[in-house]
Amino acid sequence: MTNPASTKQEINFRLKSASEYGQASFAGIVSLGLALVFLLNSYSAAAGAFKPAVLAFSIAYFVFAGLQLAVWALIRSNLIRKGEITAATRGLGYVLLLSLLTANIFIAAVAFQLIKRKKTAAYTLAVYTLMTTLLVFAVSALNLFKPYVSDNFLIGMVLLLLSAAVQLISLLLVGKFANGTLLPAWMWPVALLLIVTSVSGNLFALFLGLLLIGKLRDKGYTAGSKLNDIVDRLSRSSTSMLGLLFILFLLTVSVTSYLTFDYGMAIDNNYSAIFQPPSLEYPLGTDNFGRDLFSRIVFGARISLVVGLLSTLIPVLIGGALGAISGYYGRQADNIIMRALDILYSIPGILLAIAIIAAFGASTTNLIIALSVGAIPTYARTMRANVMLVSTLEYVQAARAFGSGDMKILFKHIVPNSLAPMIVKSTLTIGTAVISTSSLSFLGLGVEPHIPEWGNILKLGSAYLETHSYTAIYPGLAIIGLVLSFNFLGDGLRDALDPKLD
Amino acid sequence: MTGDAAATGYGFTDRIAAIYRKMYINPAYRLLLLLLGAPITLIVFGVYQYRKSADGSRRQAEELRASLIASGSKERLLEEAKDQLRRKHAFFGQTVSAEQLNREAERLASAKFEAHVQERLHDGALSGDYKQNLNFAETFHSLIGNPLFFALSWLLGLPMYVLMAVYASAYAKYIAERLFMTLFVILGVAFVVFTILYISPMSPAANILGETATDEQIAAFNHLYGLDQPYLVQLWNTLKGIFTFDLGRSFSGNENVTVSIANKFPVTLTLTVISTLIAVLIALPIGIISATRPNSFFDYTFMFIALLGLSIPNFWQGLIFILNFSIKWSLLPATYSPNNWLSAIMPIIVLGTGLTAAVARMTRSSTLEVIHEDYIITARAKGLARRTVLWKHAVGNALIPIITVIGLQFGAMLGGAAVTEKVFNISGIGSFIVDKQFIPDIPSIMGGVVYTAITISIINVIVDLMYAFFDPRIRSKMKQY
Repeated sequence: MTNPASTKQEINFRLKSASEYGQASFAGIVSLGLALVFLLNSYSAAAGAFKPAVLAFSIAYFVFAGLQLAVWALIRSNLIRKGEITAATRGLGYVLLLSLLTANIFIAAVAFQLIKRKKTAAYTLAVYTLMTTLLVFAVSALNLFKPYVSDNFLIGMVLLLLSAAVQLISLLLVGKFANGTLLPAWMWPVALLLIVTSVSGNLFALFLGLLLIGKLRDKGYTAGSKLNDIVDRLSRSSTSMLGLLFILFLLTVSVTSYLTFDYGMAIDNNYSAIFQPPSLEYPLGTDNFGRDLFSRIVFGARISLVVGLLSTLIPVLIGGALGAISGYYGRQADNIIMRALDILYSIPGILLAIAIIAAFGASTTNLIIALSVGAIPTYARTMRANVMLVSTLEYVQAARAFGSGDMKILFKHIVPNSLAPMIVKSTLTIGTAVISTSSLSFLGLGVEPHIPEWGNILKLGSAYLETHSYTAIYPGLAIIGLVLSFNFLGDGLRDALDPKLD
Repeated sequence: MTGDAAATGYGFTDRIAAIYRKMYINPAYRLLLLLLGAPITLIVFGVYQYRKSADGSRRQAEELRASLIASGSKERLLEEAKDQLRRKHAFFGQTVSAEQLNREAERLASAKFEAHVQERLHDGALSGDYKQNLNFAETFHSLIGNPLFFALSWLLGLPMYVLMAVYASAYAKYIAERLFMTLFVILGVAFVVFTILYISPMSPAANILGETATDEQIAAFNHLYGLDQPYLVQLWNTLKGIFTFDLGRSFSGNENVTVSIANKFPVTLTLTVISTLIAVLIALPIGIISATRPNSFFDYTFMFIALLGLSIPNFWQGLIFILNFSIKWSLLPATYSPNNWLSAIMPIIVLGTGLTAAVARMTRSSTLEVIHEDYIITARAKGLARRTVLWKHAVGNALIPIITVIGLQFGAMLGGAAVTEKVFNISGIGSFIVDKQFIPDIPSIMGGVVYTAITISIINVIVDLMYAFFDPRIRSKMKQY
């Protein structure tokens, strides 16, 4: 089927309507950039030579980036000449999958999309489920190079392998059978097994399981579930899926680290191994007490995620309730609530947090409270605006005409329909909460100094900036990675949930 | 009202009365009006009461009410209400006791009856059967027509006229309301921060005097700084201190709090203002260029960099800058000193990164939104050049949300400057607060937080006023209400 494009508009249209084309260029450019970063880091000016391990990594990235860009060119010519991507080009996706061995998730994610001609939400989720578990497995496996591992290491690794196997099988099954709206009934156990594997923190598996169950129960009667719709739209933007991948990777690592990581490595002083440079035994080196930076950062993810999520969830609930009441009842209630919140709003978040921590002392609980209080007004304002908008809609009037009570109307009809902006906003502000947490820890006002939290690690490392700068660089990269992921996810969710921007 | 003052005639007093009547409707303004013109209010009230009983309108109303009751109209209304309520309960399947039903019906019926009476009176007044129903504002109107009363009212009620002058001008009213809100917010901030520090379980005395301090020493310390006084007294003193710029002496170091804040605040303010200006200068062109070429490589790259800028913690960025520019390449000094402008470069960049990113993203999205408006298509259709359309029609209208973001981000920057100041060792207001919080040095923290919040509130007022004057939509809305 040759169907060459004639006009420039047609070419542009064909290129834009094939998601693989944009994704390929994205993955290629990102890999190229990463390869360059590795190359620059592999050269140590002091020794005047290249570090072989990093150099090899860089070369591997260059190779895959080159391959990816070649595939990109092939897709382009396919689209212009034939109007579709040929089976041979799609076959190259299997070659690109090998990049997973170098932990290049950018190319791997794109390769999975390239292989499959007709992509469904379930397939995308299955791919990301598997990738998350594999990444966690690889990162946990780095512990093998340590002098000793935690007692439950083996159990943890076997469980991870088992869930990876379940997820691989379900990926194959979903890829083969979940094309239409009708699913075979034996998908039930697969879906349930997937939900079981999500205990590790891999929420992709949970979403996939729920999606499959939804489809099974629906039996093709409706056009599709809301989750299906959102995943479908979200998966169109690779950045937001990769952001979600990184967040869930950290979540899974945090959960599985109870089994696979040894907390002693992160907190016990080991004076025989002070300031070890990065090596296989200590992937990110050690700090001034000889503690393994890698383990510390892994355990720090737990604190950062918990504090970030809680200090977003609390103000979402409180601010959301206040905003809903104020938007629904209006008049006096609105006036009083919003004026009181105006006061809170005019104190900058960090300063309010400092004042609260000054008054009640520095601890994780106080930190969460301090960050939550400052964030209440923004959520209340968002919720109030939405509730005011939704309150005027016809179905609310209908509910009132049926004699429903105020509380029932508010929480059953109005609030669920004004949640979307709150979800987007909270996703975007979890990142801010993570930054605030580490900033306050850096000032000595956040998490207790003995707990390995990213800000604390950075604070310690900043004292050795001149001699051992990596102790300050790596935790910072972790913070940026997490915040960037939340921002990408928030942007993607905004596009997915807001039909206006479609 | 300056122009009209010469024309002290019938028209002018009418206008005053109209403003009076309008203000009288709004409860908050009514209270202010009555209070500020208290002597006038008393006179008008006296006349009002006298006329009301003298002209017989009250008697008329009573008679009408009695005649209506006598004709059985009230009972009819009551029966009607009962019937409606019964049907309603039957429809929803509710069971209500007879007593409750009666009470509810009574309430509904009397409300209806009263409305009916008022309607009859009003109709009667229009057709001339009844006397004009007097009200307070009307009385004022008729009195102000009297030249003697008019002169007297200026003598006794000048504050009231000032208030009316403010109310009469839409802009003045808007500014006055906004300033009043700001004052309220400032008081609230002082109250909140003070209360937080007051209920603190920490004891500054024990922290300063050390573990070995005796109870007497601690009591003496608390007495010296007034910490043994009741809550309300302390709160009053603090509020007074904030407005008179005298917060006493700090617990540690025995320095005058307002003087040290006055020394440190300009440092922070200068740095943040400069970095805001630079950030806006960089971010606006980037955002506009990105919006004109959406989804291009250029757009993606800039927006990725902007997102990266939003995601970098200030302190880490500062450390990396110090590592590269100071330690590795020895280009810039690592710590800030006021005499060396080179040392201000890194703090300014670090402070401005977040703002640049936020403004660039906002500029892009808001310009994109405006570009798709109908009036842009019109402008293009009438043959304007691309450049003219973009700069004259699109950017101007896209500026409003951008100004909002700049205002918000500036506040966040001023509040979050503490972290950057600590990294570059700047003795600004942020690091002052952080240094004092370990004790906790209540007056210093109080002063630092409240004065920062006041600055931010004032900036927000300026931002609000700015777009009230720039945006014709907001301007016309302001005039309407």
